[in-house]
Amino acid sequence: MRGLQFELESGQQRRVSKAQERLKDAAGSVHAAAFVNVGDTIQVDHEAGFLRGHGTQVVNGELLATVCGIVERVNKLVSVRPLRAKYNPETGDVVVGRITEVAPKRWKVDVNCRQDAQLMLSAVNLPGGIQRRRTAVDELNMRSLYEENDIISAEVQSLYQDGSLHLHTRSLKYGKLENGQLVTVAPYLIKRLKQHFHHLKQYGVDLILGCNGYVWIAAPSESGKSSVSETPMDLSNDHGSEMSSKRSTTLIPSAQEDGKRDLSDDDKVRDSITRELRERICRLANAVRVLAALGLLIFVESIIDTYEVSLSWDTAVKDMLAAEFCIKIVEREAEHRDKKELAI
Amino acid sequence: MVALSAAEVRFIQGGIAHDLRSDGRGRYHFRPFSIQSGVIPQANGSGRCKLGATDVIASVKAELGRPPAGRPKHGSLVISVECSPTAAPEFEGRGGEDLSLELQRALERSLLGGPSGAGAAIDLSSLHLLEGKVCWVLYIDTLVLSSDGNLLDALSIAIKAALNNTGIPKVEVLASTSADEDPELDVDNEESSPLDISRVPITITLTKVGRHYIVDATAEEESQMTAAVSVAVNRKGIVSGLTKRGGIGLDPSILADMISVARHVSQTLIPSVDAEIAASESRAAGS
Repeated sequence: MRGLQFELESGQQRRVSKAQERLKDAAGSVHAAAFVNVGDTIQVDHEAGFLRGHGTQVVNGELLATVCGIVERVNKLVSVRPLRAKYNPETGDVVVGRITEVAPKRWKVDVNCRQDAQLMLSAVNLPGGIQRRRTAVDELNMRSLYEENDIISAEVQSLYQDGSLHLHTRSLKYGKLENGQLVTVAPYLIKRLKQHFHHLKQYGVDLILGCNGYVWIAAPSESGKSSVSETPMDLSNDHGSEMSSKRSTTLIPSAQEDGKRDLSDDDKVRDSITRELRERICRLANAVRVLAALGLLIFVESIIDTYEVSLSWDTAVKDMLAAEFCIKIVEREAEHRDKKELAI
Repeated sequence: MVALSAAEVRFIQGGIAHDLRSDGRGRYHFRPFSIQSGVIPQANGSGRCKLGATDVIASVKAELGRPPAGRPKHGSLVISVECSPTAAPEFEGRGGEDLSLELQRALERSLLGGPSGAGAAIDLSSLHLLEGKVCWVLYIDTLVLSSDGNLLDALSIAIKAALNNTGIPKVEVLASTSADEDPELDVDNEESSPLDISRVPITITLTKVGRHYIVDATAEEESQMTAAVSVAVNRKGIVSGLTKRGGIGLDPSILADMISVARHVSQTLIPSVDAEIAASESRAAGS
């Protein structure tokens, strides 16, 4: 996670400290007493008994915290929830990942977690859209679906005891992602909400907030959600004959028709995404980067808010990553929370 | 190594073609950078440059040494670069050595000057003490802490900040000596004099991606480069060093165009670097 670092002038330093003071006293901040550091003793009623949960350890009869975080008590269970942790996957999470390896009957996917996740061949939709047994030919043609370094969106199917993670793309909204850029943020900044796929109509940009901290911002997929190829190539009939232009027959939503794309032709590359759309994509991406660097929660409303504010302040897209804009966002957030407190 | 899908590569190339890169910069814009001076108190001078996510430190140590052969009235500069394993996983163990050597050679080419000592970053005769016997040798050591592309430019900015921060101790020669005796010197650690850094060049690296060149490439953009030309330019617009990386050949006309682009970019970049160095010095002095 790379944050933005600046040297602030004394005037800017003062503004930041003032804003930080306001944020500390504002509504929505947790009381300082709830925080524990590593090695702090946690108050427990030893008479009544307690159950030791994650992030704690009993040393010399005292319950100590082993991580920095907030103490959570559920009945007799005492645990410490760390503030900054590696991504903890839950079943049903929408994640954005990068294929690292193509292994027999599965893909290994990097999802910013302790281990690479697994995407089984049986857990993807095959081209042709029909449900059938995966044959040996399917196994040989895995690269025609997803190759190394491809970016995909998927859902967490299940977690196993040993910590391994299984994904699936068994819905038309999941699949390979194209025509956009990936922004990596800390996973704890992304809240688990009902919707992770957002199509921002007012800007004409697709936004996917992966629970694992990978945010994908892209031009909308032209073919829409139900892209069906005209002549689905049935892989099982191919009998190992030469595979040609497999990608154009996949059902994985992709914005481009591969047959028309010619990488060496600059003009075609240029025309796929107009400059205005590109500018909106970059501005949204920078809004996400700024929110991540400042440690503010990332969800659609906060991103759109930062975007609109940058437009109203006439900030150039590249200037959003400079010190002045970030300080103004901090001040704005402090004001915002103060207002919320007054409203309550 | 930076892993990019084919779709991301197309997006990056398209952005460069449209003069709108992934973070909104145009082709000839530098990322916001920050400079800290005097970060290493034990050294005679030090500077740290953060260019986006790239982070480098340069330190200057002044030691007494012998003048170079054939130039008895000059001091000398020794430059070294180290890529720390914290910067990237591929730098672990001896993995960073090749890159360190390449960066070192490029910096030597632009800062050391010719065989006669002309064109060096600082006036080497200002390091002179005793003709033919003693001179100041400035050891410029740099460390790459974090790598997100454009290491050479960040290093040159850090070196300029470190040289600006350097104080050369005052030396008094005691007792007249005969030719074969080692001279006695009194090095005064309290008083020091600054160096004249008006001629220190800044390296500007132009990375060629497809048909266009960009300035200050991130690690992602650098992974798509066909060739890169680093031009060292000083405040007067004089080119003092040239390095080409990458296996793809360049037409000489493109090379000439790249040099003129670098000089054009330097006209805005060098004043902002100098201003930032001055600001960091006053911050260091104030705290």
